[in-house]
Amino acid sequence: MSLIRADLGIDAVAEQEPDANRPDTEFVGRTPRQLAWARLRRDRVAMASLCFIVFLALVAIFAPLLTALIGHGPNTEYSNTGLSLSGIPVAPGHNGFLLGTDDQGRDVLSRIIYGARVSLEVGVGATALALGVGLVVGLVAGYYGGWIDAILARFMDILLSFPILLFALAIIARFGPSLDLVLIVIAMFSWPYIGRLVRGQVISLREREFVEAARALGSSDLRIMFVEIAPNLVALAVIYATLLIPVNIVLEATLSFLGLGVLPPTASWGNMIAEAQTGDLFTVAWWFLVFPCVALVLTTLAFNLLGDGLRDALDPRHGRSNITPPTKAQKGRARLRRKATRAGARADA
Amino acid sequence: MTDTERTTGTSDGDLLLEVDDVVKHFPVRSNTLLNRTSAQVRAVDGVSFSLKVSETLGLVGESGCGKSTLARLVTALHPVTSGHIRFKGQDVTTLSRRQMRPLRRSVQMVFQDPYGSLNPRRRVGSILADPFLVHDSLSRSEVKKQVQALMARVGLSPEHYNRFPSEFSGGQRQRIGIARALALRPDLIVCDEPVSALDVSIQAQIINLLEDLQDEFMLTYIFIAHDLSVVRHVSDRIAVMYLGKLVETGPVEEIYSASRHPYTASLLSAVPVAATAFHGPRKKRIILTGDVPSPVRPPSGCRFHPRCPKAQAKCAVEEPVLEQKPGDTPGHLTACHFPVTADEPLAAASREEPPAAAQPTLAEGAQR
Repeated sequence: MSLIRADLGIDAVAEQEPDANRPDTEFVGRTPRQLAWARLRRDRVAMASLCFIVFLALVAIFAPLLTALIGHGPNTEYSNTGLSLSGIPVAPGHNGFLLGTDDQGRDVLSRIIYGARVSLEVGVGATALALGVGLVVGLVAGYYGGWIDAILARFMDILLSFPILLFALAIIARFGPSLDLVLIVIAMFSWPYIGRLVRGQVISLREREFVEAARALGSSDLRIMFVEIAPNLVALAVIYATLLIPVNIVLEATLSFLGLGVLPPTASWGNMIAEAQTGDLFTVAWWFLVFPCVALVLTTLAFNLLGDGLRDALDPRHGRSNITPPTKAQKGRARLRRKATRAGARADA
Repeated sequence: MTDTERTTGTSDGDLLLEVDDVVKHFPVRSNTLLNRTSAQVRAVDGVSFSLKVSETLGLVGESGCGKSTLARLVTALHPVTSGHIRFKGQDVTTLSRRQMRPLRRSVQMVFQDPYGSLNPRRRVGSILADPFLVHDSLSRSEVKKQVQALMARVGLSPEHYNRFPSEFSGGQRQRIGIARALALRPDLIVCDEPVSALDVSIQAQIINLLEDLQDEFMLTYIFIAHDLSVVRHVSDRIAVMYLGKLVETGPVEEIYSASRHPYTASLLSAVPVAATAFHGPRKKRIILTGDVPSPVRPPSGCRFHPRCPKAQAKCAVEEPVLEQKPGDTPGHLTACHFPVTADEPLAAASREEPPAAAQPTLAEGAQR
């Protein structure tokens, strides 16, 4: 019964917002988070994307278990069952290889499963790192203003103006490729996006009366930044982190593709694509090139669609949150970035 | 509790707050990088007044006359440009942030906008716990008990502890704002237009609450408002501001019945009155012409002279001093060279009166 009532309530709220401050209306205690979740649940595309991402995460987490079930390790070369007598990879569905094998007789499905680990680890890890740094730097710059802001903001601008790929290549070439280094380098170049966004938001939030009220109470700067202002940045941070993850996944794939990310034989979608392209075997055995590409495209697409859905769900025009809606220019930039992500994924393919 | 200890040093009638020639200029920066200051907004320009314990001072004036800035100077949210503010005899304008902490405890503020002054992402219980967490080291359960007692005191149900501000109505939110200001049992509460964002029916509730709390906790108020009838109701004394300066101050009834400054007179004549035969002929409205001049470049001499119906050559040259005029009670001070005398037909002196229906009243116009 309570379930039914909850559902009805969601519909009613979604339709009657944003004018919730009518007098004499007793509200069912619904937190901003619950409202956003209710809105997100009505968005089928975003929910499908979320399901896909959860599925992918489970696959990545249970990769050893799954490959054990399949019976093929990711790096084992099945020269007897995985390659035909003339050395051609086995097609999907034959000899127990669901997605076929690659040119060295390795199971494509197992490798894609292990590749998901790398992609998610780098994509989510680098984004989390970028989020942490960007949040702190943005908060400090926006809150204190003045010289601190001038220095930090210029620093972010400088980082953003670097040719990321070129610079990443240089760093990795100097220190030698490794998963951790890839993660750090990607985080290093993606935090300014978050930092700049947070800074702008903080500049408008710090003028709000609740910040003044906190100051009148004698709250410390740290307390104001992290207890008063930071909770108001959560929606923004969640949206942009979700949109940054696919960018970083593609960046990792790109670096691996160029041989500077994850080192073979460890599987990553990027180096799978790269290896498949080295010969011209893919003209007869298309599967070991196409399936990693499909995995990459589906993943980036899912994250982008989820990000869009989250933005709609957390959008201030529905609730009375205080994050200003993205301007036309911001929306345009986001669209361009998404396009670039997809184009990048395609280009890699 | 501690409030009794704190007030023992000051018997009733003692000065709680002295504001002495306080000036606040905001620089208008044309170039943020080089910090080049091109002009100054003279938001508050030499204001002096004092407040006794458990007294209410009503601060009135048009939008942009510096009322809110003055409020933020008194609560030490902005540093003063010059002048002194003494709280219980102690000069608070020179205190460091650390030394300010006891002051924060005893001077609190209620904000105008009950929607903007509560963090939309925090639960009410957590917002109201802030004063205790910042100033006292109480246990979690003790804080919760205090917060719920506080909520009950301002007329909110303590079960709503876990709600977000958006789940309350405007009047309830203002009660939360008052509870937050009241939490540490301050001596002085600066109310910056606490009711102007509320419904008329709710306004009365909030004002009654403020008055009850004043009696209960010996509070002193600085009450800023546009609504002159509200100010008359709550205040013991009135201070009228125009363009960063006090033009008139005095006991509430004297200001309302025998105002001496032309600006006060015109402000009061704009109060809407239910015109019935019983009340006799309606007082003539005094219509001011023009807008409030820019506080960046205020007029010379008396700042009111370009709009004053009584202005003479002297007014443009010499700045009038805030002083007691002959015939007024002590404490009634006016800054005017040619103060209004009783029953002076000021309205006649003012320029032609537009049709009554279309008149934008000063009070309304000022209320945004």
